[in-house]
This record gives sequence, structure tokens and C-alpha cells, in this order.
Amino acid sequence: MMMPSMTMRNNPTLRILFRNSWTLGVWLLLGALVLWYSTLIPVFGPFQITSITKNSLPLVYLAIGQAIIVIAGGIDLSLGALLLLSNVIAARFMAGQPLPAVVLIALGIIAGLALLNALVGFIITLSGVPDIVVTLATGYIWSGLALWILPSPGGGTAPEMRWLFTGSPSGVGGSYWPPLLMLLIPAALVAIWSRNTQVGLSLYAVGSHKTAAQLAGLNVRQAKIVAYGIGGAMAGLAGLAMVALTGTGDPRFAIGANATLNSVAAVVLGGVALTGGVGNVFGVVATGVILIMLNPILIAMRVDSNNAQVIQGVLIAGVMMFGGLVAFLRERRS
Amino acid sequence: MKCEARCVFKSRNALHAAQLMQAPMNQPQVLLATQGVAKAYGPVVALRGVDMTVRRGEIHALLGANGAGKSTLVKILAGVQPADAGKVYIEGRTVHFHTPADAIAAGIATVFQDPALIPDLTVAHNLRLSRIDEAKFRTSLERFGLGDLDLGALVRELPLETLRIVDLARAMARDPHVLLLDEITAALTADQAERVFDLLTEWRAQGKSAVLITHRLAEVMRICDQATILRDGRNVAELVTAEVDEHQLVEAMLGASVEPLMKTAQGAMASRRLGETALEVRGLTDRHQVRDVSFAVRSGEILGLVALEGQGQDRLFDLLAGARRPVAGEIQVAGKTCHFRSPYDAVQRGVVLVPGDRLIALLPNQSVHHNLALPLFNHLRRWLRIPTDEQPRVQRAIERLSIDVRAASQVRRLSGGNQQKVVLGRWLVSGFRTLLCFDPTRGIDIQTKREIYALLRELAAQGAAIVLYTSELAEISLVCDRVLILHDGRIVDEQDAATATESSLLKAAHGLEVVA
Repeated sequence: MMMPSMTMRNNPTLRILFRNSWTLGVWLLLGALVLWYSTLIPVFGPFQITSITKNSLPLVYLAIGQAIIVIAGGIDLSLGALLLLSNVIAARFMAGQPLPAVVLIALGIIAGLALLNALVGFIITLSGVPDIVVTLATGYIWSGLALWILPSPGGGTAPEMRWLFTGSPSGVGGSYWPPLLMLLIPAALVAIWSRNTQVGLSLYAVGSHKTAAQLAGLNVRQAKIVAYGIGGAMAGLAGLAMVALTGTGDPRFAIGANATLNSVAAVVLGGVALTGGVGNVFGVVATGVILIMLNPILIAMRVDSNNAQVIQGVLIAGVMMFGGLVAFLRERRS
Repeated sequence: MKCEARCVFKSRNALHAAQLMQAPMNQPQVLLATQGVAKAYGPVVALRGVDMTVRRGEIHALLGANGAGKSTLVKILAGVQPADAGKVYIEGRTVHFHTPADAIAAGIATVFQDPALIPDLTVAHNLRLSRIDEAKFRTSLERFGLGDLDLGALVRELPLETLRIVDLARAMARDPHVLLLDEITAALTADQAERVFDLLTEWRAQGKSAVLITHRLAEVMRICDQATILRDGRNVAELVTAEVDEHQLVEAMLGASVEPLMKTAQGAMASRRLGETALEVRGLTDRHQVRDVSFAVRSGEILGLVALEGQGQDRLFDLLAGARRPVAGEIQVAGKTCHFRSPYDAVQRGVVLVPGDRLIALLPNQSVHHNLALPLFNHLRRWLRIPTDEQPRVQRAIERLSIDVRAASQVRRLSGGNQQKVVLGRWLVSGFRTLLCFDPTRGIDIQTKREIYALLRELAAQGAAIVLYTSELAEISLVCDRVLILHDGRIVDEQDAATATESSLLKAAHGLEVVA
């Protein structure tokens, strides 16, 4: 038995806490980091909260999309490239447009990328080629398309878009409410949807035990296609957040590649098993923010930025090994 | 998807209603029927043409020895696999299942041997996934004495017998015409099995049907009305259970005896001298499935092991081969106590395994040569030295086993029999003292079977100790010296292979008393 004691098994609240102990753990870690950061710098106030929140948005969106795909038993190496694609389309076509057009373009990007990635999911289920191979290939294609749409950095977006994701029409300073809500609302929607609807649960089912899911009469193919569609939509949202943050579009390949790797790191740190079926979206939100927060913390500690990546790597390995140790001890005690 | 399923339901109900109105007097008696259903897996033919008829309000037993094709037929009826040929009828209409969802929509609900529940979700989540009404599910759970089951518990935290009940209750809540139950009582306690029978009796009274696949003949006699008996992929008998007894069922399952094979075998049995004890186990116990098992096998001896499916034989072999560590008991190799931490330790001691699933043991995309030479890669000196004796050793094994090397570049392209030879041949290349064979002839053609029997006898004559688990009872008297019978994780009987008959073994394996 996994449960350490009878009281925990019988008390529903304790059980929920226990079952989500990893999610709880990473949120506590995030809280500790924020506290620590606030002691490192002279002033900690709304400006810092805004800054951390808005800078986290692209990675958090991407990580949510990746989490859903990984939970359904897949992995998507093209999410970063989809972010690029969304970013450059937005920057090129939103620049100088009136608000209604900008809103239409934004919704079109999200819906379009959702459909595009759902198509990729369909190809994966149809062909039987491993997810990692198909999405690696499509990632290159989307990156190439992005360069074709916007050969060099440029373009722009409407001030209202910038306000929505950054809290200020100019992208500097501003209120922390818009970015915070933009962080929490999509995360909550996806999290609640995935744990409470039949289709959402079918993603967990397919990732957890594909044969059993099939034998129970579930549509395994549909689950995967839906997961990839959500991944595409979240990548579209991430690209929009990016253009709102920077005010321009940037088609450089490395941005997309880094974003993909960071999304996988956030997913793994957030307690989603790469084997599928385990974990939830809330944990991934915290780890996405943690990965982004490392930068200002290291700057505040005056650590050479060249060492930042080493520390990030050590953190990922350390947290995962800690998790492994806990699981091992728990198993041995039972 | 949602609409599709609903439409099927609707049309089925409409048809049903139409039939009722049309001919209330001669309502169709046949609910589920198959005609000439056949299925082959590559070169292995599992079903050669099965006709089965299940009537309304009938509990129908599907019987057969291991490998007779029961599980293949279940998979076809449950929509897991399509048939190669033949037809399936429900209420006289032909149906085609492409997925399990199709079978469920057509009114066939299956409870598989491994519960089809998602381990990482709670029971409640699993119900919601299958669109099952929780209240209805609860009611049938209560009937099984599990009314206090916590639906918020994760499936992986629940014991197997509970999961089987949950799976059954879920299948019943789907309100099917036919329940397909594969070894439903295997993991249940006697009390729970009793409740299942009560429920099935009620089920039948409501004019619904069930197909029961079981090894427990007493159950068949007690609650089944009809029995279809499969042998070698065909239906060989349809019996009314009230008119026969258990022994007649066993005879129908076994069919004509295997005389021709017997004769070829007897010669080599003649004189075999037994040496020292090669492998001895005392009080070997695993957490659930193996209970206090003790036996010894001497070099030159072939010790048979007989058990029905799921009696702990898999675990026992895992323990012997070092793949699992026992909870209690000890293993002695040549008189020395050993603690195997991994199969590597066992192989170092000369205890080698030919596993039940040959695909686990093989590297499917590698060549025959590579697969045969695999155990040799263990030796550290091969890091530096280019091996020179590997080639002749492998060649000798290929010749001795007469492995067909036409498709030698990739093992997965070989036939099952040749693959099995490669798994065996690997240990000939590296050498061993004790050979553990888990059902080595399952799904293999008769010619290769004979070759494998001959090889095992030859190896024993050269001083190897062999433990052979087999699901083909005829093999026992052909190959073995002694035979142990495993039931519910314990060794319940030992018979002399020369005098053991298939029916004496089968009865012992069913836990029946054997009259000496």
C-alpha cells in the first residue's frame, strides 16, 4: 500500500494532499524562491511580481501544452517551433492593425495552430511512427516556415495585446493583475478540464495503460489527437505572449529550440511522468515560473550568466533525484 | 463517436422491439453465434473454424486445453482483434467489430483476465470514462459485498480480486446482452465466486446470456447449461452439462491420445543415470503467488511442472532465474546457498532460463548469430580481445538445433519454432548446468516440438538438470522423469512421469483428489 497510515487513507482531504504531494512540493519551492529573492534585492514590490509573471507566460503556456501531450503518452518536440510560428505571424500581421483585427488574428492563430498540431497527432496515430520522430521533423518545418513569414526580427502588435499579457500598453511596468490572470486562468481551465471531463480523463487513460483503455472501449486515437491539438493551442498562446512581451517578432531557430527543451524540463520537474498518465497541469505552472525565476535570482546573486545554465541543470537533476529518493523510501517502507 | 455509439444502440433496440412485435411467440432463441471463425498469427494457426451458438438465457461454458484457441475467440468476440475468416452473428444479424468499443455497443461486455481499468486513475474516474452510472454500479457492487468500496481510491492501490469485481460490476452496468467472462473466478475467494454465481443465475433468469471461460470444471457443472469444447482451434463438442460429468469434459478436451508422438519418445528415455543435486529450493515463498515451495532436481533429470494458468508458475520461475527475490526460503545450487540479485547472478551459477515469451528473450532486429552469441558478451576480456571461438560455437549450435537460417539477418522474421530454437541455442553456446524451460513448445509446430523434446532429453543425458513447465500435458510423459503439480502457489502433488496420465495430471492440477 502506498498510504503511510490508516488516517491518511480514510481522510479524503489528507488523501488529496498526499496524492498531489509533488505539486504541493513544487509550489512550496516556488514560494521559498520568491521569499529568498525578495531578500536578495533592495526593493521587492509590484514591479518584480509583474516582471516575473509576464516573463513566465510563454514558458508556462508551452509547458502546459507539453504536459497534456506527455500525460496522453506522447511528447512534442515541435512546440517551440510552433511558438515561433505564432510569434512571427502575430508580429507580421498585427502591426498597425485596429483592435478588432488584432483580436481576430490572435484567435485565428490559436485555432489554426491547434488544428495544425491536431493534424500532426492524427499523422502520428495513423502512421505509427514514434511521436518524438514526427514532432522533431515537423519542428524543423515550422521553424522554416517562420523564417519564410518573417525573415528578420520586426513587426509589432496592438497596445491592448501588450496590456493583456504584460499589464501595461508599452510593455514596461504596469499592473500585475493582467499577467497573473493570464497565467492562472488558462492553467486552471486546462487543469480542471483534464481531470473532470471524459475526454480529459481519456488522455490520462491512454497515457497510463493504452491496452486497458482500448479494452474499456475508449477511442485511443481521438485522445492523442485532442492532446496534440491542445498543445498547438497553448503554443499559439505562448507565441502571442512573446510578441506582447517583446513588442516584435523574432524567427530565430534557437529561441524555439530552447523553449522546447525548457517545456520538457518544466514538465519533468512538475511531476508529470514522461511515461504518461501521471501528474497534473498545476505542478507544471509552478516549475515553469521557477525556471524563469532562476535568471533574476542568479543576477541578484551576481553569478556569471555563463554559470546559470550549469545551476539550472544541477537543479533539475537534484529535484528529480530527490523525488526518486522519496519514492524509493516510500516503497521500501511498505 | 458519441453519436455513433448512441445510434448503434438505438437501431439495436429498434430492431429488438420490431422482432418482439413481429413474432412474440418465436422470439429468436440464438443470441450470439459464430460460424467458421478462423484466425492465424503468422504461421501459427490459432483458430481453424469455430461454430458456437449461445442461446438467450443461457450460461455457456467455453472449454479447452491450453492453446486450444479460447483466448483468441474471446479477443475476436470482444473486438480486440478481427477474425481472418468466418462470421459473428448477434440476434441473427452479422456484426463486424473493429474496436472493443464496437463490441460493447453491440451488447457484448467482456471481463478480461487482466482488468481493463486505468491504474493511475481512481475507480470513479474509470467509471466516468466508461460512461457508467455510479448509482447503478454501486448497487451491483453491494451484491458482491463490496458496498463500502471507496470510489476515490486509485485503481493501482486496490487488490486484484477487488479489481476483478469492479471490472465485472462495470461490465454488468453496461447492460449488455452477453457477458464474456474470461477466468472470472481465478483471483476470487470462494465466497466472492459464490456471489458471482448467484448473480449470473439471476442474469440468466432475466433472459440474458453469459459465456464463461474457465479451468474450474466444478463451476461448469454447477452453473453452466451448455459447453462448447475447443481443441486445436476447432469446436469438437457441444455438450449439455446436465448430461455429462467432469471426467467426460476432460476427455472431450483432450481428444484422441497422442500415441504417435509417444512412440518416438520412449526409446531415448531408456537409461539415464542421475547425478548430484543440481538445484534445490526450500520453502521458497513470494509475496503473493508462491507459497512454501520445496523441491530438488538432480543433474541428468528432467523435472516437470504442471499447473493451470495463474497458479504462481511465472513467479516461481522468476525466483529460480533470479528475476525476483523471494520473501522467504532459499535456493541452493550444487549444495551452496545462493542469493540471486539479478538474472546475471543466476547465469553465473549456471542456472539459465528459457522464458515463456520468446520475444522477451530475443533481440528481434538482430541476426540469429548475434542472438546466439549474446551470453558470450558477458566476458570482460571481450572488451579488448577480438573473439575467435565465437563463430565455431555459434555454428555448432545452429547445426545441432538445425535452425533454419534463410531469414537469419533478423530474428523477428523467423518462425516461432525457429525463434524458440535460438533462445535454447543461446545457452548451448555459452554452457549451463541447470536449464529452466517455461512452456518452450507453446504455439510451435509438431516437428519442432519433437526436435525440442529430443534436445532436452539429450541435454539431460549429458548431465544437465532441467526444470520444465509445460501447458501441454502430453509432454510430461514424453520428456520428464518426475512431475510436480502446482496449485494456488503450492506443490500439491508429485507423480511419476512414466505412470502419470493426462487425466491424472489435469485432475490434480484442478485441485481434485487423484485416486491412487
